[in-house]
Amino acid sequence: MIDIAGLPTPKDAPPAGVCVRIERPEKGLIRLVLDPPHRTLPVFDMPLLRDLDLALDVVEKDAGITGLVVTGRDTKTFAAGADIDAIAALTDRATVGRVVAIGQNLFERIDALSTTRANFTSVAAIGGAAPGGACELALACSFAILCDNDATRIGLPETMLGILPGWGGTTRLPRRIGLAKALEAILSGKLYTPREALRAGLVDRLCAPEDLLRIASDIAMRRTRIERRSRGAAKFFVDMNPLAVAFIASAAKKQVLSRTHGHYPAPLMAIDIAARANRSSTSASFKAEREAVQELATGPISKNLIRIFELSESAKKLKMLTNGRNAAVPTRVGVLGAGVMGRAIASSSADRGAWTRLFDIVPAALDTALIEHRADVESRLKKRKLQKNAADRALDRLDVTDSLVGFANVELVVEAVAERLDVKRKVFQELARQMKSDAILATNTSSLSVDAIASDIPHPERVVGLHFFNPVKRMPLVEIVRGTRTSPEVVARCAAFALALGKTPVVTKDCAGFLVNRLLGPYLDESLRLFAGGIDPARIDRSLRNFGMPMGPLALLDEVGFDIAGHAARSLHEAYGARMTPSTVLDGLVAEQRLGKKAKRGFYEHSDDRKVKPILAGDLHRFVPANSVRIRDLSDAEIAQRVVLAMLAEAARALEEHVVASARELDLATVFGMGFAPFRGGLLAWADTIGARAIVQNLEAIAREPDVAARIGGPERFASCTLLARLARDDAKFHAT
Amino acid sequence: MAAREGVGSSALMTAIHSRDSRRQVVIVGGWRTPLARAGGVFAREDAGHIGAAIARETIARCNIDVEDVDEVIVGCAGPPHDQANVGRVIGLRAGIPERVPGRTVARNCASGMEAITEAATCIEAGRGDMYLVLGVEMMSRFPLIMGDRLTRFFAKLSSARSLGQRVATLASFRPSMMAPRIALMEGLTDPISGMIMGKTAELLAREWNVSREDADRFALESHARAKAAREAGILKREIVPFLPIGAREGQHALAHDDAVRDNQSMESLAKLKPYFEKPDGRVTVGNSCGITDGACAMIVASADRARELGLTPLAKIRSWSYAGLDPARMGLGPVFATAKALDEGGATIADVGSIEINEAFAAQVLACAKAFDSDTFAQEKLGRSAKLGTLDMSRVNRNGGAIAIGHPVGCTGARIVLTAAHELQASDRELTLATLCIGGGQGGAVLLERAS
Repeated sequence: MIDIAGLPTPKDAPPAGVCVRIERPEKGLIRLVLDPPHRTLPVFDMPLLRDLDLALDVVEKDAGITGLVVTGRDTKTFAAGADIDAIAALTDRATVGRVVAIGQNLFERIDALSTTRANFTSVAAIGGAAPGGACELALACSFAILCDNDATRIGLPETMLGILPGWGGTTRLPRRIGLAKALEAILSGKLYTPREALRAGLVDRLCAPEDLLRIASDIAMRRTRIERRSRGAAKFFVDMNPLAVAFIASAAKKQVLSRTHGHYPAPLMAIDIAARANRSSTSASFKAEREAVQELATGPISKNLIRIFELSESAKKLKMLTNGRNAAVPTRVGVLGAGVMGRAIASSSADRGAWTRLFDIVPAALDTALIEHRADVESRLKKRKLQKNAADRALDRLDVTDSLVGFANVELVVEAVAERLDVKRKVFQELARQMKSDAILATNTSSLSVDAIASDIPHPERVVGLHFFNPVKRMPLVEIVRGTRTSPEVVARCAAFALALGKTPVVTKDCAGFLVNRLLGPYLDESLRLFAGGIDPARIDRSLRNFGMPMGPLALLDEVGFDIAGHAARSLHEAYGARMTPSTVLDGLVAEQRLGKKAKRGFYEHSDDRKVKPILAGDLHRFVPANSVRIRDLSDAEIAQRVVLAMLAEAARALEEHVVASARELDLATVFGMGFAPFRGGLLAWADTIGARAIVQNLEAIAREPDVAARIGGPERFASCTLLARLARDDAKFHAT
Repeated sequence: MAAREGVGSSALMTAIHSRDSRRQVVIVGGWRTPLARAGGVFAREDAGHIGAAIARETIARCNIDVEDVDEVIVGCAGPPHDQANVGRVIGLRAGIPERVPGRTVARNCASGMEAITEAATCIEAGRGDMYLVLGVEMMSRFPLIMGDRLTRFFAKLSSARSLGQRVATLASFRPSMMAPRIALMEGLTDPISGMIMGKTAELLAREWNVSREDADRFALESHARAKAAREAGILKREIVPFLPIGAREGQHALAHDDAVRDNQSMESLAKLKPYFEKPDGRVTVGNSCGITDGACAMIVASADRARELGLTPLAKIRSWSYAGLDPARMGLGPVFATAKALDEGGATIADVGSIEINEAFAAQVLACAKAFDSDTFAQEKLGRSAKLGTLDMSRVNRNGGAIAIGHPVGCTGARIVLTAAHELQASDRELTLATLCIGGGQGGAVLLERAS
């Protein structure tokens, strides 16, 4: 029995032997069923590993057993990999090392049975999700078969959480399918569908769920012949060839670095271990895996990534109603406005299976929306991501109309018409006449108040903000904005809708800018102030990218569009006063119709060819306002600090005002809404690493800088709110434990 | 009573008496796509997609809850081979619950009307209260079919067992086997009389003394009326703009019937040579119906159910009928069918404010008008003592007809009923009529009455 003393164990751990059921369906065959009673979704926690050890003892001691099947409690459940909660809590390398060793040894014992015992065949029979450790168990068996159903997925997502497959996966997968394909799986963290897994070589066979156990037994008892795909000549020419391996590894590293700018060590370490897997001994490779996981799991990056993952999982609870059931996903959805946002929302809704009705007064906009949607479905059909009947379904789900009729049976409407209060109110009033009294009227407004839109609408409790981000199909966050009268049930139904679209919802108060735009305001404006003060625009963007933002603030302004950014900035100024006073830099650019990416020129010059990267414009010095105070020479780190602290000061105020429920939601919103460096865990998690005292001091220093002190609203922007001052005084954290 | 085409008076009496006890059937509302020239902008559409799209729009605009639909009935003369029961497919693709059955009906050119009258029949029989009906035809998609010799060749090839057999079969191939059968042309030819539709029109033109000039003038008028209706925006009440599959970036939804020739003239019509009987024929492609694609959907319900659901119907169905006649003279079908429908509805031509008569051929419509106006014809063929009545041509196809906008076979029957239903609003008389001739020797007619 393995010693799990001192290792993280859940409180309700069952007694020994319960988590893995041993079944003997026929002579010579043992079936292990992973069925821990304390988990609705089984996880390789200590109790399960301990019981797997006990079960393997039984198999090893009985020489008459020649077939082993490992399976889950039903065809929709296998095991969800290692115990993420437990790993997140570990800070001690030695303990991590023991956890890794336990898993490696257990799976190695399964692997060894095939080599040490004549004719021994082990089969992983999987239905349901099999990420991470579960996939590694499958790799250790002679064969893996998957249920061909929608619930089944398999892959190695560990690098997404800042670690790497440490239970033999980084070693076994390249040996099985070659380095290139293995890296694709490990670095993308993708969870493969059954067909994709079969095509990639991760598994050996698919079958119908009803046949899973029978076929697994047939294979384990060698009644059915099944060939494992051999690498053939590729094994010699590629896997064992140091040049080929080095080439593949270096190409992979380049790709990783261009995406991560060196902030994420896990993928790079995974590449190294996988590259050597074919030519080093199993024990050496396992040791490398263990040491890598020891270093990564105890480091801050992994902890932050796991935290964010847990935050996004807990966001799923937002769809729960007060009676404990989940709110239903609407099947009939309306969208008003076929602009950039509206048509993307409509297309997403149609893709996810809702009957979607898109309205716009301009017929040409409706034509564009349909053409875009159809082109999108067509391209997925061509890439074989969709079958023809699924493509037909996606096409059938989107209808367009240029008159505001036919919404009587629509359950949820998202309006994305012009940002004018009178227009929005009029359109909601018209809809309220047509629609049922419990139909949700959601607005995608980014600058108007939900309450203002809701006034005089019958049943105002069903009016809510549903704020998407541009581009809708790529940005994962949705802000659900609660008006003062919005009901909790409506919030839950909106969360269900957002989650069905594959988005992560965050609930915010109905204040100007809600959360993300309110924080982006000072972030972007401070960048403009630095530009106005003579700082090189290339350095501004580079500094923030190095800090970990997905793109620099000036590039982001180009993306957003200067007209929209200016409008948003003015709204924030109107609502929050001096501290949000906008810079005048954009006015000069807007005057020349140079609005950013949409006009092909902004801070950058954008080519028509999407593959060509934007280049910084050469004439930006023209737009430095004549009377601005020059800023002293700042280092890259100081540039980043100025801009990020401007945002942080505002975040503290937002938190104080309870714009979101807690620091957790705020961090989730910064990561998913503006791509705030995930490896830092979110804005407030980062702030906690600096410490409130240091932050307050830095804010005061910045406030004293000549250019900040001289400008209207400068000191106010960098003032510490009551909350921040208190945290500094008490040396406390934003994230109270 | 001598055998004759038309209706017997005893059947007529039964019809009138039982009409009063039958449930009242209404048309709640309907919408259609614009009709597009075959091979044109709708060429990549298919009946399932376009039918489902117009069905969804009709359901939405009529404020119907799909849960209330009892059956889906679609008229289509040539459904796609991979959606053979296109009625079922359209129902599911339109979001009708799967428990609601669906079927496809056919009566050649009147398939769209057949769908409506089938729904009415079911309602009268008490089998259901609300039906989604459609008429749809993609003339562009009528296939080219392998000839019999080529079909047999492939069959022999696939059943060949040895290499020798296979080689021998391959050697029997002749290029002439490749000549395709054009399904559209074959479909428009009546197998009993052996006459393609245009020839039946030529026969009527000669028998009823319709000249080439008469036919051309009628065709010109059809285009002119269609153009005027478009410019006055009259058809906005019926047409939903439609963006077809295959539209590329920058292209726009079709909002009007696109086969209408705004610059049609007697000169350009005169230049055309007769198509079906050379050199002396009177029927050309210019004075025949156009070939177009399109779909039309309607909600047909019992008056009671419409009232229960708070719906305001567009029209009441007063009566309808189908009649058979000599396939060689199928163009006169409207006269026979209208006679029956008027009798059943207890009405006369004088009560009809507006007539939609499908313009299969100008000569055919003109022959019908003369037959309506002929006592002799009424006595000899319809078993009546006097003519049905003189048609006021200003009340016939006010907004143009199939010569201008085309005749998607399965769609037309529904399209003309929809137009006739809308014409009720503008009419100064109690009733409107939709009637058409049917290839194979039939006629269909639906008599509509104001709803309120």
